[in-house]
Amino acid sequence: MFWRLVFQLLRGNSGRLTVAILALVSGAAVISGLLNLELGVEYQLTQQFRTLGANVVIAPKADQPAPESALGDSALMNEDAVLNSVGQITGPSVWFAPFAYVIARANDAPVVAVGTWLDQVRNLDPTWKLEGNWISSRDDLEQCLVGRNAAKQLHLVTGRRLRLQYLSRTAECSVAGIFDSGAAEDNQVFMSLRALQTLADLPGKISLVQLNVSGGPKVIAKVAGQLSEVLPQFQVRPIREVTEAQGALLGRIRLLIVTMIVLILILTVLCVVATMAALAIERRADIGLMKALGGSISRIVGFFVAEVGLLGAAGGLIGAIMGVALSYWMGVRVFDTPIPPRWEVFPVTILLMTIVAMAGVLPLRMLGEVKPAIMLRGD
Amino acid sequence: MSTVVQIENLRKDFGKVCALDGVSFGIEEGEWIAIMGPSGSGKTTLINILGGLDTPTSGRAIVDGVDVGRLDEGGLTRFRAEKIGFVFQQFHLVPYLTAVENVMLAQYFHSTTDEKEAKEALERVGLGNRLEHLPSQMSGGEQQRVAVARALINHPKLILADEPTGNLDEANENIVIDLLRDLHAEHHTILMVTHASSIGSLADRRIDFSHGHVVPSAPALTAKRT
Repeated sequence: MFWRLVFQLLRGNSGRLTVAILALVSGAAVISGLLNLELGVEYQLTQQFRTLGANVVIAPKADQPAPESALGDSALMNEDAVLNSVGQITGPSVWFAPFAYVIARANDAPVVAVGTWLDQVRNLDPTWKLEGNWISSRDDLEQCLVGRNAAKQLHLVTGRRLRLQYLSRTAECSVAGIFDSGAAEDNQVFMSLRALQTLADLPGKISLVQLNVSGGPKVIAKVAGQLSEVLPQFQVRPIREVTEAQGALLGRIRLLIVTMIVLILILTVLCVVATMAALAIERRADIGLMKALGGSISRIVGFFVAEVGLLGAAGGLIGAIMGVALSYWMGVRVFDTPIPPRWEVFPVTILLMTIVAMAGVLPLRMLGEVKPAIMLRGD
Repeated sequence: MSTVVQIENLRKDFGKVCALDGVSFGIEEGEWIAIMGPSGSGKTTLINILGGLDTPTSGRAIVDGVDVGRLDEGGLTRFRAEKIGFVFQQFHLVPYLTAVENVMLAQYFHSTTDEKEAKEALERVGLGNRLEHLPSQMSGGEQQRVAVARALINHPKLILADEPTGNLDEANENIVIDLLRDLHAEHHTILMVTHASSIGSLADRRIDFSHGHVVPSAPALTAKRT
């Protein structure tokens, strides 16, 4: 009988309760959307910042000559030793590649030749735009990628052969693609590490290792710390501009989201309380009658608590579904990638909305003061 | 016959206004009493006190051995649920509950609900075909019959009817009066407030009120059971 009466209460007051449930659904939709965004924002920001390129660099220590300036032995690292250590630390959320540099000549013009794992170029710098084809094998000795400016200077197009000369040695490759990085790499030629080491006659030597670590500033700092421990002879340096910008932006977005959630909760509470207060006044005659029939105030208020509880849960569930869809859409619009639903958002939103709806019981406290004799007289 | 209601020197003040002033009388089990008098004479105040909806300023109102004036809020609630069946002039049905649910509501507050028994109570008052109708879908007479079924469902010791035909046309008035006659025949104790002498004359006894007093000259009536 209890639930039968509760459902009749809901049906009999559908007009007013529609206003309350609209407030709850709206509040729940925005809150669950923001919660989903909040839970997914670190991943999304990480992905966004990851496109800015490497965020950790391993290089010889600063008291040694700069590695880019020349390929003197003192500025180099042992490839196997460094990469074996890096491989032990890093996991699937870290991309890395060794780099070696030499200033070679092509068509009698100087050009920076870069040796690296060609298959990892795309992962380290996902924003590069390429005309032509990526190179899928890291040890492809026959192909190379040429920066936009270098290609223009050397009159190269995709498919052309490029001949590089360093001291008395030469190397040749076919231009697989011409890339636009928007950075200094546009002036460089990227070839396989093996090919460059052969050209420079420095087998097994590299200038630095670049890592693109997925995660927030703490994750990046943690990986850098682990690398410093296993590679004490080298400098492991997080690129602070990237990590600090990511941390600051993440903090601001989270503060904004939490502030908005609190404000929306307050507004939803006010709306629900106002609606339930109006409903409580309308129901005074019914309450008076129920009291006259022998209903205790606790049993009578029990109906209304169940009523608002159901409203809150239903509003929370419907709103959570809408909110997750909203955050999916926002993800596409803001981050160019959908924010997947986080299932923990549903119980949290339903719980929050049930608590908010329960605030609607507060005006019903006045029902305890209802005098049945007065209500039944119609005063 | 035992005494169901004993009123002794009952007084009720609303501020400076004295609604009941030293009222005393008793009602035997199975009696049908008509309380009559002009507006403001204290009839409804008496019914409210006997029904546990209000408390006396002084004096005693004892219903089935319970001194109503000594009950706290919780005690009054149980008293209303267990001892009293109300029939109001305005029917006072819950508008969003069906006829059977209105009857079951009284069961719910009393103890447990029994839908079969509630339906039987409605069939008894001739509403077997209106069980699932809302009050708004029923005539005034039908609504008052639902109220009678609701008043009877918990087998109360005392039925309090405040102008039970006051809002009804003649045809429906006759139906409700017939119902009260049937209840009286079944030895239910009924205290009825009415303005209509024709209805008051059907009761075993008529008690006239004026300015909060029982009018001593009111003639006793002979029970007219049909």
